[in-house]
Amino acid sequence: MTKDRFRTFDPARVPALAGWLATRLGAARVEIAEARRLSGGAVQENWRLAVVVEGGARAGRHDWVLRTDAAASLAVSLDRASEFAMLEAAHAAGVRVAEPLLRSDDAEVIGAPFLIQGFVTGVAQARYLVRDKDLARRGPLIAADFARELAKIHTIRPTEGRLSMLPIPVGSPALHEVARYRTVLDTAGEPRPALEYALAWLAANAPDPVAPALVHGDFRTGNLMVDGDRLSAVLDWEFAHWGDPDEDIGWLTAPCWRFGNAAMETGGLAPLQAFLDAYEQAAGRRVDPRRMAWWRILAAARWAAIAVLQGDRYRLGGEDSLEVALTGLMAAEIELDALDGIEAYEAGKPAP
Amino acid sequence: MTNRRITPESLIELAVQTLRAEIMPKLDGDARYQAAMIANALDIARRSIMTDGEEARFALLDKVYDDGDGTLADLARDIRSGVVTTATHPDLPQMLRRLLVEEIEVRNPRFLEGRRR
Repeated sequence: MTKDRFRTFDPARVPALAGWLATRLGAARVEIAEARRLSGGAVQENWRLAVVVEGGARAGRHDWVLRTDAAASLAVSLDRASEFAMLEAAHAAGVRVAEPLLRSDDAEVIGAPFLIQGFVTGVAQARYLVRDKDLARRGPLIAADFARELAKIHTIRPTEGRLSMLPIPVGSPALHEVARYRTVLDTAGEPRPALEYALAWLAANAPDPVAPALVHGDFRTGNLMVDGDRLSAVLDWEFAHWGDPDEDIGWLTAPCWRFGNAAMETGGLAPLQAFLDAYEQAAGRRVDPRRMAWWRILAAARWAAIAVLQGDRYRLGGEDSLEVALTGLMAAEIELDALDGIEAYEAGKPAP
Repeated sequence: MTNRRITPESLIELAVQTLRAEIMPKLDGDARYQAAMIANALDIARRSIMTDGEEARFALLDKVYDDGDGTLADLARDIRSGVVTTATHPDLPQMLRRLLVEEIEVRNPRFLEGRRR
Protein backbone atom coordinates (compact mmCIF):
# COMPACT_ATOMS: atom_id res chain seq x y z
CA MET A 1 0.00 0.00 0.00
CA THR A 2 2.73 2.50 0.80
CA LYS A 3 6.49 2.32 0.97
CA ASP A 4 6.96 5.34 3.25
CA ARG A 5 8.68 5.13 6.59
CA PHE A 6 6.02 5.13 9.28
CA ARG A 7 6.14 7.22 12.39
CA THR A 8 2.93 7.74 14.31
CA PHE A 9 0.65 6.21 11.68
CA ASP A 10 1.37 2.51 11.25
CA PRO A 11 0.03 0.38 8.33
CA ALA A 12 -1.26 -2.17 10.81
CA ARG A 13 -3.71 0.50 11.96
CA VAL A 14 -5.34 1.04 8.57
CA PRO A 15 -8.12 -1.49 9.20
CA ALA A 16 -8.83 0.12 12.57
CA LEU A 17 -9.00 3.53 10.91
CA ALA A 18 -11.29 2.22 8.17
CA GLY A 19 -13.57 0.68 10.78
CA TRP A 20 -13.66 3.91 12.79
CA LEU A 21 -14.48 5.91 9.65
CA ALA A 22 -17.31 3.51 8.78
CA THR A 23 -18.84 3.95 12.23
CA ARG A 24 -18.54 7.72 12.26
CA LEU A 25 -19.87 8.08 8.71
CA GLY A 26 -22.73 5.62 9.15
CA ALA A 27 -21.35 3.63 6.23
CA ALA A 28 -21.70 -0.07 5.54
CA ARG A 29 -18.00 -0.28 4.72
CA VAL A 30 -14.98 1.95 4.21
CA GLU A 31 -11.89 0.97 2.26
CA ILE A 32 -8.65 2.96 2.44
CA ALA A 33 -7.27 2.24 -1.00
CA GLU A 34 -4.07 4.20 -0.50
CA ALA A 35 -2.22 6.02 2.26
CA ARG A 36 0.69 8.23 1.27
CA ARG A 37 2.78 10.36 3.60
CA LEU A 38 2.82 14.03 2.65
CA SER A 39 6.06 15.97 3.00
CA GLY A 40 6.59 18.95 5.23
CA GLY A 41 6.43 19.49 8.96
CA ALA A 42 8.69 18.07 11.61
CA VAL A 43 5.98 18.61 14.21
CA GLN A 44 2.98 17.25 12.38
CA GLU A 45 2.46 14.16 10.31
CA ASN A 46 0.12 14.31 7.32
CA TRP A 47 -1.14 11.41 5.23
CA ARG A 48 -3.11 11.56 2.03
CA LEU A 49 -5.83 8.90 1.98
CA ALA A 50 -7.78 7.57 -1.00
CA VAL A 51 -11.02 6.50 0.67
CA VAL A 52 -13.97 4.55 -0.74
CA VAL A 53 -17.14 4.85 1.34
CA GLU A 54 -20.02 2.44 0.79
CA GLY A 55 -23.35 3.71 2.05
CA GLY A 56 -24.22 6.53 4.41
CA ALA A 57 -24.24 10.28 3.78
CA ARG A 58 -20.66 10.34 2.44
CA ALA A 59 -20.87 7.43 0.00
CA GLY A 60 -18.34 7.66 -2.80
CA ARG A 61 -14.62 8.07 -3.41
CA HIS A 62 -12.76 10.76 -1.52
CA ASP A 63 -9.36 12.34 -1.28
CA TRP A 64 -8.82 13.06 2.39
CA VAL A 65 -5.93 14.01 4.64
CA LEU A 66 -5.20 12.57 8.06
CA ARG A 67 -3.31 14.93 10.38
CA THR A 68 -1.68 13.78 13.57
CA ASP A 69 1.37 14.66 15.68
CA ALA A 70 4.77 13.30 14.67
CA ALA A 71 6.28 10.68 16.93
CA ALA A 72 8.90 12.99 18.47
CA SER A 73 6.67 16.00 18.86
CA LEU A 74 7.32 19.24 20.72
CA ALA A 75 4.42 21.00 22.38
CA VAL A 76 2.56 22.73 19.59
CA SER A 77 0.57 25.91 19.86
CA LEU A 78 -2.68 24.20 18.95
CA ASP A 79 -3.57 20.58 19.59
CA ARG A 80 -5.61 18.66 17.04
CA ALA A 81 -8.92 19.36 18.80
CA SER A 82 -8.25 23.09 18.80
CA GLU A 83 -7.04 23.01 15.21
CA PHE A 84 -10.24 21.25 14.22
CA ALA A 85 -12.34 23.87 15.98
CA MET A 86 -10.34 26.58 14.21
CA LEU A 87 -10.99 24.98 10.81
CA GLU A 88 -14.69 24.67 11.65
CA ALA A 89 -14.94 28.32 12.66
CA ALA A 90 -13.08 29.46 9.55
CA HIS A 91 -15.16 27.18 7.32
CA ALA A 92 -18.38 28.51 8.87
CA ALA A 93 -17.23 32.08 8.15
CA GLY A 94 -16.74 31.16 4.50
CA VAL A 95 -12.94 31.16 4.61
CA ARG A 96 -11.35 28.74 2.16
CA VAL A 97 -9.73 26.02 4.25
CA ALA A 98 -9.40 22.29 3.96
CA GLU A 99 -12.87 21.02 4.86
CA PRO A 100 -12.81 19.75 8.47
CA LEU A 101 -14.54 16.36 8.47
CA LEU A 102 -13.91 14.26 11.56
CA ARG A 103 -11.61 14.12 14.51
CA SER A 104 -10.67 11.70 17.26
CA ASP A 105 -9.20 12.35 20.69
CA ASP A 106 -8.97 8.60 21.18
CA ALA A 107 -5.41 7.33 20.85
CA GLU A 108 -6.73 3.79 20.47
CA VAL A 109 -7.60 4.12 16.80
CA ILE A 110 -4.21 4.92 15.23
CA GLY A 111 -2.06 5.53 18.32
CA ALA A 112 -2.55 9.29 18.67
CA PRO A 113 -5.31 11.89 18.35
CA PHE A 114 -5.95 12.90 14.76
CA LEU A 115 -8.24 14.78 12.45
CA ILE A 116 -9.52 14.08 8.94
CA GLN A 117 -9.87 16.94 6.47
CA GLY A 118 -10.48 17.32 2.75
CA PHE A 119 -7.51 17.26 0.38
CA VAL A 120 -6.93 20.57 -1.36
CA THR A 121 -5.19 21.08 -4.70
CA GLY A 122 -2.62 23.79 -5.09
CA VAL A 123 0.89 25.02 -4.46
CA ALA A 124 1.93 26.77 -1.29
CA GLN A 125 5.73 26.77 -1.52
CA ALA A 126 7.04 30.28 -1.87
CA ARG A 127 9.96 29.44 -4.12
CA TYR A 128 7.62 28.18 -6.86
CA LEU A 129 5.13 31.02 -6.52
CA VAL A 130 7.60 33.92 -6.53
CA ARG A 131 9.47 32.61 -9.57
CA ASP A 132 6.43 31.96 -11.72
CA LYS A 133 6.97 33.38 -15.21
CA ASP A 134 3.37 34.55 -15.33
CA LEU A 135 3.60 36.37 -12.01
CA ALA A 136 3.04 39.85 -13.48
CA ARG A 137 -0.43 38.72 -14.54
CA ARG A 138 -1.26 36.24 -11.78
CA GLY A 139 0.21 38.09 -8.81
CA PRO A 140 -2.40 40.86 -8.52
CA LEU A 141 -5.24 38.35 -8.90
CA ILE A 142 -3.79 36.10 -6.23
CA ALA A 143 -3.14 39.10 -3.94
CA ALA A 144 -6.75 40.23 -4.27
CA ASP A 145 -7.90 36.72 -3.36
CA PHE A 146 -5.60 36.71 -0.33
CA ALA A 147 -7.22 39.99 0.69
CA ARG A 148 -10.79 38.72 0.44
CA GLU A 149 -10.03 35.59 2.45
CA LEU A 150 -8.15 37.55 5.11
CA ALA A 151 -11.05 39.99 5.42
CA LYS A 152 -13.35 37.02 6.12
CA ILE A 153 -10.98 35.74 8.83
CA HIS A 154 -11.13 39.16 10.45
CA THR A 155 -14.92 38.99 10.73
CA ILE A 156 -14.58 36.22 13.33
CA ARG A 157 -15.00 37.62 16.85
CA PRO A 158 -14.54 36.27 20.40
CA THR A 159 -18.30 35.57 20.45
CA GLU A 160 -17.57 32.62 18.14
CA GLY A 161 -18.36 29.70 20.44
CA ARG A 162 -16.17 27.19 18.64
CA LEU A 163 -13.08 29.22 19.62
CA SER A 164 -13.68 29.40 23.35
CA MET A 165 -10.33 27.62 23.88
CA LEU A 166 -8.45 30.74 22.74
CA PRO A 167 -7.44 33.01 25.63
CA ILE A 168 -9.48 36.19 25.86
CA PRO A 169 -7.22 39.12 25.12
CA VAL A 170 -6.63 41.63 27.88
CA GLY A 171 -5.41 45.15 27.14
CA SER A 172 -3.75 46.36 23.97
CA PRO A 173 -3.00 43.64 21.40
CA ALA A 174 -0.01 45.66 20.20
CA LEU A 175 1.57 45.88 23.66
CA HIS A 176 0.76 42.22 24.25
CA GLU A 177 2.84 41.29 21.22
CA VAL A 178 5.76 43.48 22.36
CA ALA A 179 5.65 41.79 25.77
CA ARG A 180 5.65 38.37 24.12
CA TYR A 181 8.95 39.03 22.33
CA ARG A 182 10.52 40.64 25.40
CA THR A 183 9.77 37.38 27.20
CA VAL A 184 11.68 35.52 24.50
CA LEU A 185 14.70 37.77 25.03
CA ASP A 186 14.57 37.28 28.81
CA THR A 187 15.91 33.75 28.44
CA ALA A 188 17.85 34.17 25.19
CA GLY A 189 21.32 32.71 24.79
CA GLU A 190 22.87 35.94 23.52
CA PRO A 191 22.09 39.64 24.09
CA ARG A 192 20.36 41.50 21.25
CA PRO A 193 20.51 45.25 22.01
CA ALA A 194 19.18 46.24 18.56
CA LEU A 195 16.10 44.08 19.08
CA GLU A 196 15.61 45.55 22.56
CA TYR A 197 15.76 49.00 21.00
CA ALA A 198 13.17 48.02 18.36
CA LEU A 199 10.85 46.62 21.03
CA ALA A 200 11.25 49.76 23.16
CA TRP A 201 10.36 51.90 20.14
CA LEU A 202 7.37 49.67 19.36
CA ALA A 203 6.09 49.96 22.93
CA ALA A 204 6.46 53.74 22.89
CA ASN A 205 4.70 54.11 19.53
CA ALA A 206 2.02 51.45 19.83
CA PRO A 207 -1.22 52.11 17.96
CA ASP A 208 -4.47 52.50 19.90
CA PRO A 209 -6.20 49.20 20.64
CA VAL A 210 -9.05 47.97 18.48
CA ALA A 211 -11.79 45.46 19.28
CA PRO A 212 -10.18 42.03 19.02
CA ALA A 213 -10.80 39.90 15.97
CA LEU A 214 -9.36 36.57 14.87
CA VAL A 215 -5.78 37.03 13.69
CA HIS A 216 -4.38 34.12 11.67
CA GLY A 217 -0.91 34.81 13.01
CA ASP A 218 1.09 33.39 10.09
CA PHE A 219 -0.79 34.61 7.01
CA ARG A 220 2.00 34.79 4.45
CA THR A 221 3.28 33.31 1.21
CA GLY A 222 4.20 29.76 2.10
CA ASN A 223 1.08 29.13 4.17
CA LEU A 224 -1.41 30.03 1.47
CA MET A 225 -2.22 27.33 -1.05
CA VAL A 226 -2.67 28.72 -4.55
CA ASP A 227 -4.50 26.95 -7.36
CA GLY A 228 -4.48 28.86 -10.64
CA ASP A 229 -5.23 32.47 -9.80
CA ARG A 230 -7.01 31.83 -6.52
CA LEU A 231 -6.24 30.95 -2.92
CA SER A 232 -7.47 27.39 -2.52
CA ALA A 233 -6.80 26.98 1.22
CA VAL A 234 -5.43 28.91 4.16
CA LEU A 235 -3.02 26.59 5.98
CA ASP A 236 -1.23 26.46 9.32
CA TRP A 237 -3.60 27.91 11.89
CA GLU A 238 -1.42 27.08 14.89
CA PHE A 239 -0.62 30.72 15.71
CA ALA A 240 -4.18 32.00 15.46
CA HIS A 241 -5.21 34.26 18.35
CA TRP A 242 -7.50 37.20 19.17
CA GLY A 243 -5.86 40.49 18.27
CA ASP A 244 -5.52 43.43 15.90
CA PRO A 245 -6.26 42.53 12.25
CA ASP A 246 -3.51 44.87 11.08
CA GLU A 247 -1.07 42.40 12.61
CA ASP A 248 -1.86 39.97 9.74
CA ILE A 249 -1.48 42.76 7.18
CA GLY A 250 1.89 43.78 8.62
CA TRP A 251 3.12 40.15 8.57
CA LEU A 252 1.98 39.47 4.98
CA THR A 253 3.57 42.67 3.63
CA ALA A 254 6.75 42.78 5.76
CA PRO A 255 10.10 42.97 3.87
CA CYS A 256 11.25 39.69 5.41
CA TRP A 257 8.47 37.71 3.67
CA ARG A 258 9.06 38.74 0.05
CA PHE A 259 11.36 35.84 -0.88
CA GLY A 260 13.72 37.97 -2.98
CA ASN A 261 11.02 40.02 -4.77
CA ALA A 262 11.63 43.12 -2.66
CA ALA A 263 9.44 45.43 -4.78
CA MET A 264 6.38 43.14 -4.50
CA GLU A 265 5.10 44.15 -1.08
CA THR A 266 2.32 41.56 -1.01
CA GLY A 267 4.30 38.53 0.01
CA GLY A 268 6.70 38.82 -2.91
CA LEU A 269 3.84 38.24 -5.37
CA ALA A 270 2.23 41.60 -6.19
CA PRO A 271 2.32 45.34 -5.47
CA LEU A 272 0.74 46.48 -2.22
CA GLN A 273 -2.32 48.13 -3.78
CA ALA A 274 -3.42 44.87 -5.43
CA PHE A 275 -3.88 43.54 -1.91
CA LEU A 276 -4.97 46.68 -0.06
CA ASP A 277 -7.68 47.79 -2.48
CA ALA A 278 -9.33 44.36 -2.35
CA TYR A 279 -8.94 44.11 1.44
CA GLU A 280 -10.43 47.54 2.13
CA GLN A 281 -13.38 46.79 -0.11
CA ALA A 282 -14.03 43.38 1.40
CA ALA A 283 -13.47 44.48 5.01
CA GLY A 284 -15.37 47.75 4.65
CA ARG A 285 -12.63 49.74 6.35
CA ARG A 286 -9.61 51.76 5.35
CA VAL A 287 -6.22 50.47 6.44
CA ASP A 288 -4.23 53.21 8.16
CA PRO A 289 -0.74 53.19 6.56
CA ARG A 290 0.91 54.20 9.88
CA ARG A 291 -0.68 51.24 11.67
CA MET A 292 0.39 48.90 8.89
CA ALA A 293 3.93 50.33 9.10
CA TRP A 294 3.99 49.73 12.86
CA TRP A 295 2.85 46.14 12.43
CA ARG A 296 5.54 45.59 9.76
CA ILE A 297 8.18 46.68 12.26
CA LEU A 298 6.60 44.34 14.81
CA ALA A 299 6.80 41.59 12.18
CA ALA A 300 10.55 42.13 11.91
CA ALA A 301 10.91 42.07 15.71
CA ARG A 302 8.91 38.83 15.82
CA TRP A 303 10.97 37.16 13.11
CA ALA A 304 14.20 38.31 14.77
CA ALA A 305 12.99 36.82 18.08
CA ILE A 306 12.18 33.55 16.29
CA ALA A 307 15.69 33.51 14.78
CA VAL A 308 17.15 33.98 18.26
CA LEU A 309 15.02 31.07 19.54
CA GLN A 310 16.21 28.88 16.70
CA GLY A 311 19.84 29.72 17.50
CA ASP A 312 19.13 28.91 21.14
CA ARG A 313 18.26 25.35 20.18
CA TYR A 314 22.02 25.06 19.53
CA ARG A 315 23.32 27.50 22.16
CA LEU A 316 21.19 26.32 25.08
CA GLY A 317 19.32 23.25 23.88
CA GLY A 318 22.34 21.20 22.84
CA GLU A 319 20.91 20.49 19.41
CA ASP A 320 23.71 19.90 16.86
CA SER A 321 21.93 21.17 13.81
CA LEU A 322 23.73 23.29 11.22
CA GLU A 323 20.43 24.61 9.91
CA VAL A 324 19.40 25.79 13.34
CA ALA A 325 22.75 27.49 13.99
CA LEU A 326 22.63 29.28 10.61
CA THR A 327 19.06 30.44 11.25
CA GLY A 328 20.22 31.84 14.59
CA LEU A 329 22.72 34.01 12.74
CA MET A 330 19.93 35.62 10.69
CA ALA A 331 18.68 37.75 13.59
CA ALA A 332 20.98 40.66 12.66
CA GLU A 333 19.52 40.97 9.15
CA ILE A 334 15.96 41.15 10.38
CA GLU A 335 16.90 43.57 13.16
CA LEU A 336 18.30 45.80 10.41
CA ASP A 337 14.91 45.58 8.65
CA ALA A 338 13.33 46.75 11.91
CA LEU A 339 15.70 49.72 12.17
CA ASP A 340 14.94 50.65 8.54
CA GLY A 341 11.24 50.52 9.32
CA ILE A 342 11.63 52.73 12.38
CA GLU A 343 13.71 55.25 10.46
CA ALA A 344 11.14 55.45 7.64
CA TYR A 345 8.27 55.79 10.14
CA GLU A 346 9.95 58.65 11.99
CA ALA A 347 10.76 60.42 8.74
CA GLY A 348 7.14 60.11 7.60
CA LYS A 349 8.20 58.01 4.62
CA PRO A 350 6.37 54.96 3.23
CA ALA A 351 7.12 51.71 5.03
CA PRO A 352 9.82 49.64 3.34
CA MET B 1 56.83 33.67 -7.78
CA THR B 2 54.17 34.00 -5.11
CA ASN B 3 54.61 32.01 -1.95
CA ARG B 4 51.29 31.48 -0.26
CA ARG B 5 51.04 30.20 3.26
CA ILE B 6 48.53 27.49 3.97
CA THR B 7 46.52 29.33 6.59
CA PRO B 8 43.28 28.29 8.30
CA GLU B 9 41.34 30.72 6.14
CA SER B 10 42.98 29.50 2.94
CA LEU B 11 42.16 25.90 3.86
CA ILE B 12 38.55 26.82 4.40
CA GLU B 13 38.47 28.68 1.09
CA LEU B 14 39.90 25.67 -0.75
CA ALA B 15 37.45 23.36 0.98
CA VAL B 16 34.45 25.48 -0.04
CA GLN B 17 35.66 25.79 -3.61
CA THR B 18 36.09 22.03 -3.84
CA LEU B 19 32.69 21.43 -2.30
CA ARG B 20 31.01 23.80 -4.73
CA ALA B 21 32.87 22.77 -7.87
CA GLU B 22 33.32 19.04 -7.36
CA ILE B 23 30.66 17.76 -5.00
CA MET B 24 27.55 19.91 -5.23
CA PRO B 25 27.02 19.43 -8.98
CA LYS B 26 26.77 15.68 -8.29
CA LEU B 27 24.06 16.09 -5.66
CA ASP B 28 20.42 16.89 -5.73
CA GLY B 29 17.49 17.24 -3.39
CA ASP B 30 18.16 17.14 0.33
CA ALA B 31 21.87 16.27 -0.05
CA ARG B 32 22.43 19.32 -2.22
CA TYR B 33 20.59 21.51 0.27
CA GLN B 34 22.76 20.20 3.11
CA ALA B 35 25.93 20.78 1.06
CA ALA B 36 24.85 24.35 0.29
CA MET B 37 24.39 24.96 4.03
CA ILE B 38 27.87 23.53 4.69
CA ALA B 39 29.39 25.83 2.04
CA ASN B 40 27.56 28.79 3.58
CA ALA B 41 28.76 27.92 7.09
CA LEU B 42 32.37 27.59 5.89
CA ASP B 43 32.15 30.98 4.14
CA ILE B 44 30.91 32.56 7.35
CA ALA B 45 33.70 30.91 9.34
CA ARG B 46 36.29 32.15 6.85
CA ARG B 47 35.03 35.72 6.89
CA SER B 48 34.91 35.58 10.67
CA ILE B 49 38.56 34.56 10.91
CA MET B 50 39.62 37.21 8.41
CA THR B 51 37.87 40.11 10.01
CA ASP B 52 38.84 42.06 13.08
CA GLY B 53 35.27 43.12 12.98
CA GLU B 54 34.62 44.45 16.45
CA GLU B 55 35.18 48.15 15.83
CA ALA B 56 31.54 49.11 15.78
CA ARG B 57 30.89 47.07 18.90
CA PHE B 58 33.77 48.69 20.82
CA ALA B 59 32.82 52.16 19.58
CA LEU B 60 29.25 51.66 20.76
CA LEU B 61 30.15 50.26 24.18
CA ASP B 62 32.88 52.85 24.78
CA LYS B 63 30.44 55.62 24.00
CA VAL B 64 27.73 54.34 26.31
CA TYR B 65 29.92 53.09 29.16
CA ASP B 66 32.62 55.58 30.19
CA ASP B 67 34.51 53.11 32.31
CA GLY B 68 34.99 50.84 29.29
CA ASP B 69 33.48 47.93 31.17
CA GLY B 70 30.13 47.63 29.47
CA THR B 71 29.06 44.56 27.55
CA LEU B 72 26.35 43.97 24.99
CA ALA B 73 24.35 42.24 27.71
CA ASP B 74 24.58 45.41 29.84
CA LEU B 75 23.45 47.48 26.87
CA ALA B 76 20.50 45.20 26.13
CA ARG B 77 19.43 45.36 29.77
CA ASP B 78 19.81 49.15 29.92
CA ILE B 79 17.81 49.69 26.73
CA ARG B 80 15.04 47.49 28.13
CA SER B 81 14.92 49.32 31.45
CA GLY B 82 14.97 52.75 29.79
CA VAL B 83 18.36 53.82 31.16
CA VAL B 84 19.76 54.07 27.62
CA THR B 85 17.41 55.76 25.13
CA THR B 86 17.60 58.12 22.17
CA ALA B 87 17.04 60.91 24.70
CA THR B 88 20.23 59.99 26.60
CA HIS B 89 22.11 58.87 23.44
CA PRO B 90 20.66 60.53 20.33
CA ASP B 91 22.81 58.52 17.95
CA LEU B 92 21.87 55.18 19.49
CA PRO B 93 20.00 53.96 16.36
CA GLN B 94 22.97 54.78 14.12
CA MET B 95 25.41 53.03 16.43
CA LEU B 96 23.18 49.97 16.60
CA ARG B 97 22.91 50.01 12.84
CA ARG B 98 26.71 49.99 12.50
CA LEU B 99 26.87 47.10 14.95
CA LEU B 100 24.41 45.10 12.88
CA VAL B 101 26.17 45.91 9.60
CA GLU B 102 29.42 44.69 11.12
CA GLU B 103 27.77 41.38 12.08
CA ILE B 104 26.06 40.99 8.71
CA GLU B 105 29.29 41.62 6.80
CA VAL B 106 30.52 38.37 8.28
CA ARG B 107 27.28 36.42 8.30
CA ASN B 108 25.70 37.35 4.96
CA PRO B 109 27.36 40.23 3.08
CA ARG B 110 25.04 39.71 0.08
CA PHE B 111 22.19 40.96 2.24
CA LEU B 112 23.84 44.37 2.31
CA GLU B 113 24.33 44.60 -1.45
CA GLY B 114 21.55 46.54 -3.12
CA ARG B 115 20.11 47.88 0.11
CA ARG B 116 19.30 51.55 0.13
CA ARG B 117 22.31 52.53 2.17
